[in-house]
Amino acid sequence: MSGLKALQESFQRGLLAGDDAILSEINDSAKESRDIRFGVYRNAYVLRFIEVLSSDYEQLHAYVGDAGFAKLARAYIAAHPSDRRNARDFGRNMPRFLGHANPYAKHSELAEIAGLEKALGDAFDGPDAEPLSLERLAATAPEDWPRLVFVPHPTAIRLTFTTNTADLWSALHGETPPPKPRRLEQRQPVIIWRQDLMARFRPLPPEEAMMWDEAAKGVAFGVLCEMVATFAGTVGAELRAASYLRGWVDMGVLADCRLAPSPRLQVATGLGPGNSASLLPVTQ
Amino acid sequence: MSTKRPPFLGFGLGLRAQHYREILHGTPKVDWFEVISENYMIPGGQPLRMLDQIRERYPIVMHGVSLSIASTAPLDMEYLQCLKTLAERANPKWISDHLCWTGVHGVNLHDLLPVPYTKEALDHVVERVTQVQDFLGRRLTLENVSSYVTFGQSEMTEWEFVTEVANRADCWLLFDVNNVYVSAFNHGFDTAAFLNGVPRDRVVQFHVAGHSHEESHIVDTHDHPVCPEVWDVYRAAVAHFGPVSTMIERDDNIPPLTELVDELDHARRIAAEVLGAKRMEAAA
Repeated sequence: MSGLKALQESFQRGLLAGDDAILSEINDSAKESRDIRFGVYRNAYVLRFIEVLSSDYEQLHAYVGDAGFAKLARAYIAAHPSDRRNARDFGRNMPRFLGHANPYAKHSELAEIAGLEKALGDAFDGPDAEPLSLERLAATAPEDWPRLVFVPHPTAIRLTFTTNTADLWSALHGETPPPKPRRLEQRQPVIIWRQDLMARFRPLPPEEAMMWDEAAKGVAFGVLCEMVATFAGTVGAELRAASYLRGWVDMGVLADCRLAPSPRLQVATGLGPGNSASLLPVTQ
Repeated sequence: MSTKRPPFLGFGLGLRAQHYREILHGTPKVDWFEVISENYMIPGGQPLRMLDQIRERYPIVMHGVSLSIASTAPLDMEYLQCLKTLAERANPKWISDHLCWTGVHGVNLHDLLPVPYTKEALDHVVERVTQVQDFLGRRLTLENVSSYVTFGQSEMTEWEFVTEVANRADCWLLFDVNNVYVSAFNHGFDTAAFLNGVPRDRVVQFHVAGHSHEESHIVDTHDHPVCPEVWDVYRAAVAHFGPVSTMIERDDNIPPLTELVDELDHARRIAAEVLGAKRMEAAA
């Protein structure tokens, strides 16, 4: 085994590290020298992965341009040799890479655009699940509403941007000139998910983002209503919470709902059956 | 394990995402589709949904690019389990991959790298094919790859190596017509020597594809129409092997489906001219 193993290790070093030791194992061809022939593999190695990254990070590519993307991709390829059988996984470290490696880390929008593109890619072929239907939600007994907990769709991903990434991405995706990158005064939460086989994203108002994050942790609806009331005032809090929930059902970003085991949650919220029963229909 | 020879499927195409809609909403003259296994080794979403719908209408064959059967790294059992799970879903007529290696030490270079044709490599590959076939519970189909280098330590020709693997491991062969042409040009052997050198009863599939001519060598790029020289080798292959399931392989610069169907019709015409229409129908 040692001969084959040593040859493969040497061949791989030749591709990854530019080591020429493998050339001693390769024959010259009648038409070309061995280094030119081995160069076919060397060139293909880099070009193939640039192509994979360009496909996965199409808007990032458009944003930095061909030359900028090739440079960025080469730096990534050198830092992250492929360690997965599926090429779709090769670029998975791009957002983290751009967030830490100079000079890219100085431009926060790069890591955030990459993060959004990765999330959209992950949502595109993430696990299947039937979205929660309005009928199923409406079938919940009025007295049980405060105990309802929600299961996010398995493709749902929450990100928070510090720059105008959402606008940049939308402009790039629409093939229009992107606005200048700028840091936002208030961080922008977004949610990414798949609906009708399409990966989508939507910015979330801060209150809705807060409620989503808590709901995703399994906090019951009654408590969510209290949190919304604390976040932006008690007036209309239940209506706001119900409105967000209705929006999530329409978006298909929830997969299921069930009742929390402890009935104490109902008591804790102070929401009686009469109040909870009116939540959903009010927003329809 | 089934040792029954896979059926003659006729004339097929590689399933590409660009053509999903046309395939499902039309009646393209394609007898079967080959899917890249790794593209469907994903949790869910549109690709798997499309695969489910297309496999209800057409026979499917699975073609992998990451098995790395000749690598000295341990077999990736997680990958094999994913492959087996996909096969249970897609119910392919056969499963193929390449007689090559793709990396060692946890790296996957996503290239079909050449093997030295030594007794040591032969024993290694035969043992691995046997293990994979035992795990999958079916015979594997192995494809000859295009190569750009030859190794000083090789002890036999490529076709002798391929033949020994097929006979000793008891697997099927995918005879890639373009790869034979490319390697013959690059290494200066006669395509007829390869064609006559592999066992006729092992060949269950042909690949036909285009390539990029770089004057002193040819690169297997699958981004052009099939050239006349490769059609000539195909004609000889049909004459030698008889009716064998034939597929046009196009991975880049992917044209409209109708263009590939036209190219497939050219393969049909050649096969009919060589074998006569009756023999083709009998085989089907």
